[in-house]
Amino acid sequence: MWHVARAGDRALLVTLGKAIDPALLAQVLAFDQALQERRPEGLLDAIPAYASVLCRYDPAITTAERLEKGIRQLEGRLRSSPSFGPIVEIPTTYDGPDLGDVAAKTDLSTTAVIELHSGREYLVYCVGFAPGFTYCGALDDQLVVPRRASPRARVAAGSVGIAGSQTGIYAVESPGGWNLIGRTDLRLFDPAADPPARFQPGDRLRFVPVR
Amino acid sequence: MIEVINPGRWTTIQDRGRPGRERFGIPPGGAADWFAAAVANRLAGNHPDAALLECTAAGPSLRFDSDGVVAVTGALAAGTETWLPRLVTRGSTFAIGAVGPGLRSYAAVRGGIDVPVVLGSRSFCQRGTFGGGFGRPLAEGDRLTVGDFVNGDPPQAAWPAGHRLSMLGPWEVRVIAGPHTDAFDRFALKRLTDIACRATPALDRMGMRLQTLGLHLRADEILTTPVTAGAVQVTPSGEMIVLLADHPTTGGYPVIATVVTADLPLLAQVRPGDTIRFREVDLAEADRARRRLDGWLEPET
Repeated sequence: MWHVARAGDRALLVTLGKAIDPALLAQVLAFDQALQERRPEGLLDAIPAYASVLCRYDPAITTAERLEKGIRQLEGRLRSSPSFGPIVEIPTTYDGPDLGDVAAKTDLSTTAVIELHSGREYLVYCVGFAPGFTYCGALDDQLVVPRRASPRARVAAGSVGIAGSQTGIYAVESPGGWNLIGRTDLRLFDPAADPPARFQPGDRLRFVPVR
Repeated sequence: MIEVINPGRWTTIQDRGRPGRERFGIPPGGAADWFAAAVANRLAGNHPDAALLECTAAGPSLRFDSDGVVAVTGALAAGTETWLPRLVTRGSTFAIGAVGPGLRSYAAVRGGIDVPVVLGSRSFCQRGTFGGGFGRPLAEGDRLTVGDFVNGDPPQAAWPAGHRLSMLGPWEVRVIAGPHTDAFDRFALKRLTDIACRATPALDRMGMRLQTLGLHLRADEILTTPVTAGAVQVTPSGEMIVLLADHPTTGGYPVIATVVTADLPLLAQVRPGDTIRFREVDLAEADRARRRLDGWLEPET
């Protein structure tokens, strides 16, 4: 059962589940797709992330009740399996300032950390927080470490980090608490590009070590 | 052309923002006090989408190389009268000066500030460091082009005093419960609305951190969701963060309540040290409050 909650007086937050899970993401993307194709009256924008979708609406055109009804009509009628994107390679230099720290915390060699991180493909679950920031999962269980105790005031664009079961790429310079293990020259956010972000939820990627 | 003689503390070019791009991590942005900005454009005889200057704490000094009209609204400005259109003459310098009570003044120049549209808006985006003409706040020596985004003549009279919002705390700010109500116990919002919160110096266009002495709300962890301006987040250490126009598009802290659209302008005027009290309302009251401000902005017929 979807959970529909008010997010202020101009948006509804629709929660489909509570886990970072490919099947849930597939449902979120199918819901998002359905909203694009048959836009309920008054819906302005839908923003998907992990297991939820924020639906912004124009209260001059519709009401929270009417929009929720329109949303509920889609529940259980979604295409079951939208396909995820092709695998994009991220050339990555594994020289992050936290690489040694991650190796120590996981009781692995830095070479093993790099092999485990680059040895699988990831699914993009969310592009958010800051422009273009790309959240991916899931990490090998052996690489799971908490965020840094104190966040850095500045993390450079292109930094590749890990935190919990996720790995992510900073697209613009921002503060950040993830453990930085590498960096890429790939530009993930470009205000002049269409779309401005390189990735969107449902895309797949793989980190490729470069020297 | 307008030359920036003194940029002020933190003066940025803003308009109504760039909604519809949050799925790329891009904040909706736009003037933090949407109501004062809308009035400034009305008083300058501008189109509602015209870009203007958001002046924080201390405003700029501007030299005009042609005659013009400027309207300053929002927080009071030491250097000029507010809430009415003012004529400026060619070669003269227009100084906004210290800003307050309130934190943000809006200066609309008749015709609007003409800078390139980036991702649907002329607004400066702090996190992305793009937009606003320069990808940064104004600096000394910047030259601003005046546009032609006019919409009728500037009105003759000042904006009615009864159609302005308070610029002075203590602030009463209305909220709607949720969306992450389930992460809290059933008395949590009541406990929050029973106390006075204090704004800390950690305050910018993205959000503000509040001190809530004697209150420590516990919440379950949530999976990151998209968030909105006005969201009142509770961190694991029990601190409160209220999100503003340039907010991160997603958040992993549970949101206990969301400030109603009609009171977002109040949040934009809160200064560090000010007292905020939240009051829970239902959607009907939030709708009435928003329609009241929209009604003030409707063109007279």
